[in-house]
Amino acid sequence: MRTYGFFVLKRFGQLLIVVFLGVSATFFITHLSPLDPVEQTMGRLTRQSGFSPEAQEAMRAALTELYGTDKPLLEQFYSFWSRLVRGDMGPSLLAFPTPALRLVKRALPWTVGLLTTTVLITWTVGNLLGGLAGYFQNSRLLKAFGVFAIGVQPIPYYIVAFIMLILFGFLWPVLPISGGAGMFVEPGWNIHYALSIVHHSILPASSIVVVGLGTWFLGMRALVSNVVTEDYVTYAEFGGVESRKIVGSYVIRNAMIPQLTALAMVLGGVFSGTIITEEVFSYPGVGTLLIDAVNAGDYTLVLAVTSISIATVATAIFVIDLLYPLLDPRVRVR
Amino acid sequence: MSAILEVAHVSKRFAMGGVLSRRHVEAVNDASFAIEEGQPEVFTIVGESGSGKTTLARMMLGLELPTTGEIRLSGRSMADRRGRAAKIEFMRHAQPVFQNPFEAFNPLKRVDRYLDASARVLLGARGRGAIDAAMDVALHKVGLSLAEVRGRYAHELSGGQLQRVAIARALIPNPEILVADEPVSMVDASLRMSIVNLLRDLRDNLNVTVIYITHDLATAYYISDRIIIMQKGYIVEMGPAQTILESPEHPYARLLKESVLPVDDPGRERVQAPDRSLALAAAENSGSGRLVPRTGGRSVRMNAE
Repeated sequence: MRTYGFFVLKRFGQLLIVVFLGVSATFFITHLSPLDPVEQTMGRLTRQSGFSPEAQEAMRAALTELYGTDKPLLEQFYSFWSRLVRGDMGPSLLAFPTPALRLVKRALPWTVGLLTTTVLITWTVGNLLGGLAGYFQNSRLLKAFGVFAIGVQPIPYYIVAFIMLILFGFLWPVLPISGGAGMFVEPGWNIHYALSIVHHSILPASSIVVVGLGTWFLGMRALVSNVVTEDYVTYAEFGGVESRKIVGSYVIRNAMIPQLTALAMVLGGVFSGTIITEEVFSYPGVGTLLIDAVNAGDYTLVLAVTSISIATVATAIFVIDLLYPLLDPRVRVR
Repeated sequence: MSAILEVAHVSKRFAMGGVLSRRHVEAVNDASFAIEEGQPEVFTIVGESGSGKTTLARMMLGLELPTTGEIRLSGRSMADRRGRAAKIEFMRHAQPVFQNPFEAFNPLKRVDRYLDASARVLLGARGRGAIDAAMDVALHKVGLSLAEVRGRYAHELSGGQLQRVAIARALIPNPEILVADEPVSMVDASLRMSIVNLLRDLRDNLNVTVIYITHDLATAYYISDRIIIMQKGYIVEMGPAQTILESPEHPYARLLKESVLPVDDPGRERVQAPDRSLALAAAENSGSGRLVPRTGGRSVRMNAE
């Protein structure tokens, strides 16, 4: 297992590099944008009250001092990283002076909770059904599901989401259409709050599942119908291997490897995908936060959201990469 | 003397293309022969690509059912063998060896897992000791041992070794028949003869009938007892290997023999391409006529005169 340890170490090094480069890129994009955070904050703070010009100047000077926007870009870059490693991303402008990181921390569990569950449900169920459909090609039920998948899969996500919103929120109003939990339920570790969260997540979650399921199903079905014609499957049958075992550890496991890669790639896209979901269903997650931050020109918050997203996605892919050698012995030798 | 494997007037048609452009391909046409019990031999099926030899092999293994005709193992038709118990009973008598050993093993599993399953299910071995013993015995038959193979993945073994493991796995249930579909064509030329010799030893020492499917006339000549030459789905010549390979009668069989490159004088003389008239006659005669018994126990496809 010494080689596996080396592999983990190497991948971890790559993870750090990826996060560093990604966050740095976001830093430069936001800092090179024409939006000036000092002017943005000034605009928000002075909108309603009549500050004297002297007071405004003093305020501008204080804010410039706080953000350090008068310093050269590289110096700002250095101080940004030295603050970041201590876990400080600066105050949000939207909710001044709340630290941006606190806002992200508040929104993150909603997004991660919704996404991990839906992505994992979609991936597991889609691959399982697709695998079975590829192996038992004569099953009527699975054939019917294939037709359904081909029908649903090309519909754009937001159309499916709105159709479901209309169906279950308006025509047959059984599910809440917005928010992460009931407004009058007290937050905390109690059963009512948990149930309310689950209740509110049904609609956004199932909209993601319905759309994603078809993609995984069709992909896996195609992969499996290739694998079943391989000689080793025929060989396994001649070796008397039980058919349940053939489906599980000969067919599905071999077809799974490219699907695992695809999962890593999909995870890379979830944070951008979630923006639509959270907007449509007014879900209090990172996506909504990012939209608000962009609209308000709150670039510390934008930076905080994207940095956290980059770190989360890179970590998820890192974990999947670690699973690879356990699944495929051919990766192990390298 | 009764036949263990009987192929009786077997034909196989495949539908090709979609709904509009559907056409049928006759992969195998009216093939008949029998393998006798208690008389181990190397029974060779020779033919070019698309001649139907692999389809015939797949039908003998029960992987395809004939469109018409019947294949019987120990008197029982392949079409009647439904359900797991009947299939396992069949696998105890006939086992396959495929062309590419790297495709024959699951790349994600250790190769001994296959041997393990065969010993457990087909031989009925119970307990670690009995299963290991069965695997070791089979591996020794092909010149390997369990210690060399255990815990190895397919990519960690060479093609020749892997093909030996594949043969060992097929030998675990002590089958009477081994259907080897191009078993040496993916193996290094230098190791080819060791596999061919192994097949011969199986016949001589273990009384296994080897159905050897190949396009390589040289190895066919070397080990065959009986031979079938196939062209475009038809058997064109069938009988004792030595008689046929020394003096083939059918134009296609003669063309095949002519096409074997001589190794006697390498580089000295320009290799003569086989007579063009022979190729034309072979193409012209394909699929016509019927098998007529000839001298020396062979049958040749000829036009009725």
